[in-house]
Amino acid sequence: MILLPSKYRFVPLIFMLIAGFGAFTPLIDEPGLQQTFAVAFLFGGLALTYDLLLGFTGLLSFGHALFYAAGAYGAAFAMARWDWGIIPAGIFALFFAFLVALFTGTAALRVKGIAFAMVTLAFAEAGHVIVTLNLWGLSEGDKTLQLNFDSVPDFFLGVANTRNLYLLALITLAIIYLAVWWLTQSSVGRVWQALRENEERVSVLGLRPFSFKLIAFVLAGVMAAFVGVVAVVVTNNANPVMASTQTTISLLLMVILGGIATRWGAVIGGLIYVVLSQRLTTLDTQGALAGLPEWIGGPMSEPAFILGVIFILVVMFSPGGIAGALYRLRLKIASFK
Amino acid sequence: MEIFITLFITGVGLGALYFLVASGLSLIYGLMGVLNFAHGAFLTAGAYAAWYFTTEVRADGSLTSYAISLVLSGLVGAIFAVATEQLLIKHLYDRHIDQALVTVGLGLVAVSAYLGWFGSDPLIALPPTQLYDVVQIGDAFVGIDRFLYITVAGLVLLANFLMLRYTRIGLVIRAGVENRAMVTALGIDVRKAFTFVFFIGGFAAGLGGALATTYASGVGPTLGDAFLIYAFITVVIGGMGSIPGTAIAAVIVGTTQVLVNYYVQGLGDFVVVLLLAVVLLTRPQGLLGKVAH
Amino acid sequence: MTSNAAIRVSDLSLAIGGAKIVDGVTLEVAPGELLGIIGPNGAGKTSLFNLISGLRPATRGKIFLGDDDITTESTASRASKGLGRTFQTSSVFTMLSVLENVRLAAEAAMGGSMKITRRAYSFKPAIEKAEQALEAVGLSDKKFSFAGSLSHGDKRRLEIAIVLASDAKVVMLDEPMAGMSVENVPVLTEIIRSLSRDYNRTVLMVEHHMHVVLGLADRIAVMHQGELLICADPQTVINDPTVQSAYLVESL
Repeated sequence: MILLPSKYRFVPLIFMLIAGFGAFTPLIDEPGLQQTFAVAFLFGGLALTYDLLLGFTGLLSFGHALFYAAGAYGAAFAMARWDWGIIPAGIFALFFAFLVALFTGTAALRVKGIAFAMVTLAFAEAGHVIVTLNLWGLSEGDKTLQLNFDSVPDFFLGVANTRNLYLLALITLAIIYLAVWWLTQSSVGRVWQALRENEERVSVLGLRPFSFKLIAFVLAGVMAAFVGVVAVVVTNNANPVMASTQTTISLLLMVILGGIATRWGAVIGGLIYVVLSQRLTTLDTQGALAGLPEWIGGPMSEPAFILGVIFILVVMFSPGGIAGALYRLRLKIASFK
Repeated sequence: MEIFITLFITGVGLGALYFLVASGLSLIYGLMGVLNFAHGAFLTAGAYAAWYFTTEVRADGSLTSYAISLVLSGLVGAIFAVATEQLLIKHLYDRHIDQALVTVGLGLVAVSAYLGWFGSDPLIALPPTQLYDVVQIGDAFVGIDRFLYITVAGLVLLANFLMLRYTRIGLVIRAGVENRAMVTALGIDVRKAFTFVFFIGGFAAGLGGALATTYASGVGPTLGDAFLIYAFITVVIGGMGSIPGTAIAAVIVGTTQVLVNYYVQGLGDFVVVLLLAVVLLTRPQGLLGKVAH
Repeated sequence: MTSNAAIRVSDLSLAIGGAKIVDGVTLEVAPGELLGIIGPNGAGKTSLFNLISGLRPATRGKIFLGDDDITTESTASRASKGLGRTFQTSSVFTMLSVLENVRLAAEAAMGGSMKITRRAYSFKPAIEKAEQALEAVGLSDKKFSFAGSLSHGDKRRLEIAIVLASDAKVVMLDEPMAGMSVENVPVLTEIIRSLSRDYNRTVLMVEHHMHVVLGLADRIAVMHQGELLICADPQTVINDPTVQSAYLVESL
């Protein structure tokens, strides 16, 4: 909705570069913090792939977690059961996710709007049921499917190497960011943006909406799977939560929080969401909520509570999320000059 | 055969619970175009109210206390729902996506509030022991509570039917589901109807919460969300805005789930979500829904 | 039967739940001709456009683009064969720039379809074509504005630029003058006239402004309750007694 003027478009990349160097300073030295940021980067990337659907193409999917999980489980499975190395396992996982996305997308895109959202929800729930209940022995059920430590290079293993995981996650985010940038600036990307506004109008130009939506759906799915593969390395496992509707809903929250269809908005939303939800829990243990009465202190110790309240406020009072708020601020400043 | 009867009635009982959640969802969506993700939170609120009343206020385990707790939980759900409509939804008039998003946020907030207040472990409720008796049908044994769910859902269905057919506000709702723009153009204030569908939807969900507490022998923070997904599936299969469609779909979903799950644990959930996909892909408007223009 | 019509519909009908929205319309429009379509509200004019462009499937009848039977084809495939249209309410892509709106249409018409490896902003042939179209409707100076920020009149011009750039042989304009201010009407009238005169497009135009239709159209088709009452030159239509009773009396 709000496009950064060209002079600012490299800013997010510069920040990523700074974040990369940051890992070598005392500022982000502690492994716990590095791990938090690594997960945050991955969710920033994942949110961006979701925004490719929601923001740039106008497709409200409730099943995006399926592809993230397909990537994670595909890779973890190939490593654990077939003793494959991370690279072939990753390629296998991407190919698997590609097929899943192609199949589910072809089916789901036959319907539109809420029906589309519900069909994607159904497919993702089906995936969730498969991994949770360990149907056909594909997963470890409720338990997590552990990373096979023999499949990844040593410099990604152990607490001492958390910095390498941090950098791996950051590079993943940068790759996703550049890919989404490249895609949205392409001829096809413009058709996506047009589709988001008015599908009929696109079809009277002689373009088949279905094909273009399917391309977006599959690409976003494969990119989410890529994040899933890296997540297995970073978090050492694939688990059923990855496939849950809750995961897709948190992606939705991240994108809306940061600002829809702005690229960096989704990334910021993902970062804030993960850092807050991991760090807010420490509020409670550090006694910051000690003075509060129980009826308000109890919920306040749940990160999701504060995140949810922030989310509601953003939707109600700041359309366009953080990016939208910044944009309005800039307009205001410009009008003073 | 006996086992089939037992499972079938259990399935219809579960479907009855789905219907209690789904009927409100369906009317709210049909009339206002709002996909209400906070509906599960209404159910959980009712469930906690029922738990509190039957364990803290009148813990005598009598049928009377249980009956009062049902009404009470319905009211709690209704008040929660009306507050949601008045404080959040109303201010986002005609911003359907934002309305749905706000309910997503509210659902999240509610679950974590329950978590903060009541903890993550399910609280055990103590419904009257008579509910856990079994009756014999042919050679099959069926829990009495199943019939309670079905009766309550049947009454709600009947009440919905009478309200939609014979009251003025019901007329407005039916017309609004059919064509909202037209009703507004006629100068009828639909907003009262908006508040009203939230009231009855919340009441049914709260009632469902009390019964779900009996069904699941307790209440945890995510009780409502567990039901919400299947209630969504029910609504969509039945056709958005159609109460009879919702009722039929609730029975289909409940029985399919229970029957298939009996043979392969978990496969029932899988079959139900695939059923949704199949119905939507072959008949996007659902079983009895109106074709969207 | 072959004809050299640019577009031809025969016995075209649309019924929804028993109501006849469009009822047995048969019509031929010659290449380069400008046909005005008039009729009271609810006469089925826009529905006729929706049938021809494929947004709704016809219950009965056939549609030919040249000699090509397009009755069962998708909207997109009809469009890529040279059938363009505008909508009653302006429907430009508000979040894209003015230039991008037109460039998209130009690129879509160029065949070979869209490429993911092609940068949208550096595809010269489409940009040049788009700029020519914008020049023709007088929007060149606003090409970098968001289409959503344009005035109503400029959006209408932009829509014409889009059909120009899309190479559509047959163009359907749905109430192009709707909501236009008085001083803008003559300008847009000239632009539409040049569509058929200078660019040799076949134009079908639904319009309520009678003087615009009378001034522009080679022939006028009158619709009433889904049926085609008459299709003839403006003078004949005005003098036709059935038309007068059905429509013109109130309007003139």
